Amino acid sequence: MNSLLPAQFVALLRREVLENRTLFIAAPAVLALVLLVFALWIISMAPSARIAEGVEYLSIMFDGLSPAEMAPMFLMPAIPFIMMLYACVIIYLLNALYQDRKDLSVFFWQSMPVSNLGTVLSKIVTVIAVVPVFYVAILFVFYLLVVIALSLLGLSYDVQVAGLGYMFLAAVVSLLLFYVSTFLAALWLLPTIGWLLLFSAFAKRTPVMWALGVFILLGFLEDLIFGTQFLGNWIESRINFRQYIVLDLPMAMDRLFSYDMLFGIVVGAILITGAVYMRRFVD
Amino acid sequence: MTDIVEARNLEKKFGDFKALDGLDFSVTRGSICGLIGPNGAGKTTTLKALVGLSDVEGDLRVAGRDPRVSRHKLMEEVCFIADVGILPKWFKVNQVLDYVEAVHPRFSRERAEQILSTTDIPANKRIKELSKGMVTQLHLALVMAIDVQLLVLDEPTLGLDIIYRKEFYDRLLNDYYDGDCTIIISTHQVEEIETLLSDLLFIDNGKIVLDAAMQDLENIYSEVLIDAGHYAEAEQLGPIYHRDILGKRAYIFEGVDRNRLRELGEAATPTVADLFVAKLRGAKRE
Repeated sequence: MNSLLPAQFVALLRREVLENRTLFIAAPAVLALVLLVFALWIISMAPSARIAEGVEYLSIMFDGLSPAEMAPMFLMPAIPFIMMLYACVIIYLLNALYQDRKDLSVFFWQSMPVSNLGTVLSKIVTVIAVVPVFYVAILFVFYLLVVIALSLLGLSYDVQVAGLGYMFLAAVVSLLLFYVSTFLAALWLLPTIGWLLLFSAFAKRTPVMWALGVFILLGFLEDLIFGTQFLGNWIESRINFRQYIVLDLPMAMDRLFSYDMLFGIVVGAILITGAVYMRRFVD
Repeated sequence: MTDIVEARNLEKKFGDFKALDGLDFSVTRGSICGLIGPNGAGKTTTLKALVGLSDVEGDLRVAGRDPRVSRHKLMEEVCFIADVGILPKWFKVNQVLDYVEAVHPRFSRERAEQILSTTDIPANKRIKELSKGMVTQLHLALVMAIDVQLLVLDEPTLGLDIIYRKEFYDRLLNDYYDGDCTIIISTHQVEEIETLLSDLLFIDNGKIVLDAAMQDLENIYSEVLIDAGHYAEAEQLGPIYHRDILGKRAYIFEGVDRNRLRELGEAATPTVADLFVAKLRGAKRE
């Protein structure tokens, strides 16, 4: 049985991707396409003097920088992708343990020898490690086209923006940073993942209302009974956007090995255990 | 012969409604057992409990395990087709085969493909593009390709036309059942599975009202068609049910010597459908 486990888990991950390919692949691909078309439109509309100015500005900005130093700048265009990733993942998590109960395919899933823990873990691993891979792949193509376009623009305006190879390397480093950032952010947000999965497993309908409603109610009750706002403050301390992006390895290490991170993971694990427990029976 | 299912005093409440009310039964290994009952009798709850999907109270062992604590282990030995259970619509046929092959240690892809090759189901179609009959065929092909001890089927042919229904049971009996595995089927269409069954369980209001082997029915139950004017003699023998047919009356008796009944008229074994009505209606009359 043990030798079967990895293959089984891979099948569970594959199921998540196949079922949610619109959220995980089509959505970022469309975003990349929209951004590229938008950029082309801007370039075609702008007067050539302005474009020359822009290319010149980039060449000055990149001048003398190593790929690793250039990489954080390449993260800028990834911000809309990060926002889309979060939006899609929230939708995914709210439906993850709800949709199959709604369309009754849960009876098929539960008729297979797959544990509830395995099912729930596959959803978490999908969010933490698998979805960002698709984003990285799409961003890779996106960056490749951007780097080629920048080089072509440089050539046509006779400005050396930065070496093509240099920019390409910078893009690759920035994608590594993107992956590490999303991975760490997902760990940082494990309580949120657990909370959404808990209500996805619990709600008979509209899990989003439950997830939000219970949270607001808890905050309200805390304020009413204890006169404190611990819950609200704790959430506030975790929604600073800077916490979600790492720009180099030491920063990643600091973020990973911190008490705050550990505390969040423990809270997340408790909520996830609740989701596994909720998943036990269908009625 | 050992029992593959042992259920003692199963109880399940939905609010004030008792779906299962002290249910007691067992199912012998190698049998084909029909679980028959009207709507709301507790059939689906019982079958869900057997596969660990319903949280019932009481003692329950299926294939030596408690389904409530180790469903995923149990599902290596038990297959289940739910009444409303549908295969995930977004899967393609070959993707669902990939999935089951990866997660189920007892699944034979070769066998599933061989069964599918005898149907019109295309491998690269999404399940949402298949007809209801095809989806059931596919589900049966998956289940038939899994070597398990127990197959639990809850109204497996619900909503299918007569051709698919007949094909379903023919396949189940001829291509799947080998005497080693056990099959439990719940259905409304009693007549269609009557010849398949080796054991019978009637359930009503969350209780078992009949638990018998098919071969014992003729020793226990008799139906006698009696001419008008002789009803009083029949009534004296304590029939459990009667119905009027074209100026005569058919009485059903339980545990009355058939030789004695022959003095009243021609005695035969009632059909499962008639017996079902007799047991349920008879109980309500008392």
